Amino acid sequence: MEALVKLSFYSFTATTIAIAGASLCYIALAVGRVRFRMATMRMSDGSTVARPTSELTRTPDSLGSFATMLAWFGLVFQALAILFRVLASGSAPSNMYEFSLVFVFAITLIYLLFERAYGIKQLGAIVMPIALGMALYVWLLPVEMREVNPLIPALQNQPLMTAHVSLAIFAYAAFAVSFAAAVFFLIAQRWRVSWLPSAEMLDDIAYRAVTIGFPMMALVLILGSVWAYQAWGAYWSWDPKETSALFLWLVYGVYLHTRSLRGWRGTRSAVILILGFAAVIFTYYGNYFFGGLHAYGGV
Amino acid sequence: MSTEPRPVSNIRGQGVSMPSNNQPARPADPTSKRGWSEIAIDRVWRFFCSVRAAIWEIAFLALLVLIGTLRGSSVPRLIADRAPITEPLVARWYSWDVFHSFLFMAVLALLSVAIAIGGMINRAPGIWNAIAHPTVATSHGFLHSARPAAELKASVPVSEIVQGLTTALKERRYRVLTESRGDEVHLYADRNRFSKLGTFPFHMALILILLGGIVGARFGFRETEFIVPEGEARPVLNGTDLSIRLDRFEDRYTEDGSPAEYTSHLTVLDDGKAVAQEAITVNHPLTYNDVVVYQASFGQAVQLRVTDPGGNLIYDGAVELGLYRASENPDAPAGVLSLPDAGVTLSIIAPDEAPLNQPESDLLRLADQQIYVKARYNDIVAGEQSPDAVLNARQTADLGRIQVEFVRETRFTLLQVARNPGIPIFVIASILLVGGLAITFYFPHRRLRGIIQPGGGGSSSVARLAPVAKRDWSGQKDFRRLLRELSTRLPYASVSVSEASESGHGGGSPIPPTGSLARPDSR
Ligand code: HEM
Repeated sequence: MEALVKLSFYSFTATTIAIAGASLCYIALAVGRVRFRMATMRMSDGSTVARPTSELTRTPDSLGSFATMLAWFGLVFQALAILFRVLASGSAPSNMYEFSLVFVFAITLIYLLFERAYGIKQLGAIVMPIALGMALYVWLLPVEMREVNPLIPALQNQPLMTAHVSLAIFAYAAFAVSFAAAVFFLIAQRWRVSWLPSAEMLDDIAYRAVTIGFPMMALVLILGSVWAYQAWGAYWSWDPKETSALFLWLVYGVYLHTRSLRGWRGTRSAVILILGFAAVIFTYYGNYFFGGLHAYGGV
Repeated sequence: MSTEPRPVSNIRGQGVSMPSNNQPARPADPTSKRGWSEIAIDRVWRFFCSVRAAIWEIAFLALLVLIGTLRGSSVPRLIADRAPITEPLVARWYSWDVFHSFLFMAVLALLSVAIAIGGMINRAPGIWNAIAHPTVATSHGFLHSARPAAELKASVPVSEIVQGLTTALKERRYRVLTESRGDEVHLYADRNRFSKLGTFPFHMALILILLGGIVGARFGFRETEFIVPEGEARPVLNGTDLSIRLDRFEDRYTEDGSPAEYTSHLTVLDDGKAVAQEAITVNHPLTYNDVVVYQASFGQAVQLRVTDPGGNLIYDGAVELGLYRASENPDAPAGVLSLPDAGVTLSIIAPDEAPLNQPESDLLRLADQQIYVKARYNDIVAGEQSPDAVLNARQTADLGRIQVEFVRETRFTLLQVARNPGIPIFVIASILLVGGLAITFYFPHRRLRGIIQPGGGGSSSVARLAPVAKRDWSGQKDFRRLLRELSTRLPYASVSVSEASESGHGGGSPIPPTGSLARPDSR
């Protein structure tokens, strides 16, 4: 068992390295390559001057393939990290350390699925660093959390809890993708960058990601109240963690309405998606600000 | 402009675009003479139909939820620490119970009406028309400017290409409608047309959830501190004839002394008759009819026998400790037993659980297994001492007009007893909510229009097709895929596709900054 915990940790280390590499490649891919060269200019008096100029050009596609490969490596190692962890504890993920492991996995997975479906890699420049940030957060958690601990009685409702929390994490991951698409949408609208996807495609990606995250989040709220009802007899107690999830859901509800409205669809929709992702971060790390039922083991 | 034949009237000034098929329930006719009340009703109706207003309403609700959420966090505190001017505001923030405020309820009520009118009633006829009787006729203007658009040329008569397209589209689960106009045939095809209906169960579910909350609050109850000492039965009240008896309580501890598991063996009595018997633990409640009994917590109790000097029994049962704090030792669990018939109230105090913590405030210094009992008579004269005693188990003390025997130490269980008739409504709402979303999102309505006309020479013809998918990247992509399939199914036709010129990626013109986005052309 001790060995499994270690193995899990080593796999996670490999993931961290892989997605750090992937993040760098994706960023390079989105930004493009800066080319310096000497340009000669003819001045008005007929003389010519050479001066250095720089321009952005497209990075070679091989870098993109490399980025994708690293991301898939990260995904596989992260799957192993979670698997070993589950084998060691004999239960599904249940504390902030384990949830964050799943989060890294979910973001990478959902991102890679979108990358395949749309055949574009630029979003990786935002999504993979988010996954990396989550992985680094895991490194910052107290070392004791890497050990396997028993649960407090009220949280011992495994199937419901696992469904509730993992749906939330996958919803957050989908929202991360829509966040990235929204950011690129705003960029693509302001500047014409030939190698960025069209604004229309970015709008579609953001929307599709929300159509995954929004129903999942609805299920999170539903399962959460079923669980609360079973454990405490009250399906909804206006606990801050509940209401912050509701807030999040409402923000994406607003977004879904803006899509059918002249003057709202486009820029404002994208801004709402960015706000929505801020709310995701706040909800996920809410335990640092809230007391109450959701103060899981350790955090 | 590629406007289609029948322009859809737009709700005045509200920019409701999409309900491509949205006929306002009360069409505006500025020329007709109307009374002010009619105009007012019209205004109100329009307000509730407006998606723009809905956005602001939901956003306002979200804002309230955010304010209420932050109230349960340290964020306002942090703000006040940074900017001391906000101190009074932050104080009010912490004291405002948003979720039970009138404002919050009012917003929820407003939203329910808006959801019912704007999210459902007003849209129903339009959506139903689009499903049942879509307009088949289209215009050449639309087909020429739509991007992507396809042109199929074949040296077969119009009827044959129509036939070929219809069969191929039907294989792809499209519904195909055609209409002849002179020598042209206009074609409309769509799939997943019921997708648009998903919005009704979804928006309905939102109303049901609020309804469930009201029903639960109005017709249900929830006792959060329902205490039953071992061996005792306590009435549930709240309009029931139930009472709950704790037959036996078990607790197990871990090595460090924290409770690992505890079980209450309960009997439910209906009108005095035992009707259910079950052992419950945390997370494993008991349900009798629609009353649910949860294990919440437990505590210490003492069993006492109180008799009068004649030996008549006044009380024989348990008294829960820990719900009171006594001045004799504020750290020790204490309990109160009122015996109004005997005109006396007993205070009972158990030994300090942590004797080393603040030993100076412990005036009793009880040993383990001892209790302190004091009898306060209702007719006590000021200055007179209340009789008291320290008892070991099975000892009896004479406290003036009563005798108290400390039979033994026991436990009480702390239960929650609740009935919520709103639950079935929530279950239905949850199903409608998730199902409605799934229909709307995962079975998108795809539409295309076309005109098939003779192509100059004798038996040749041209079919122009375009998806109704402006600014809908996925819809356009599906159209391209559909075209590829059509071209294999109609090998005799040569297919050419026009794409938007501007964008190199995935087609379609990029979305213009703001404004002019939605046009009522998507019918
Ligand atoms: C204020 C009252 C509301 C009105 C008038 C309203 C109206 C509408 C309308 C007209 C649409 C169709 C948009 C389209 O066809 O593209 C829509 C869609 C939607 N609304 Fe609402 N809505 C309201 C409240 C809400 C609330 C509170 C939520 C939950 C957060 C919500 C969630 C959605 C979602 C997810 C969609 C997209 C899926 C669908 O078409 O059903 N709505 N709403």
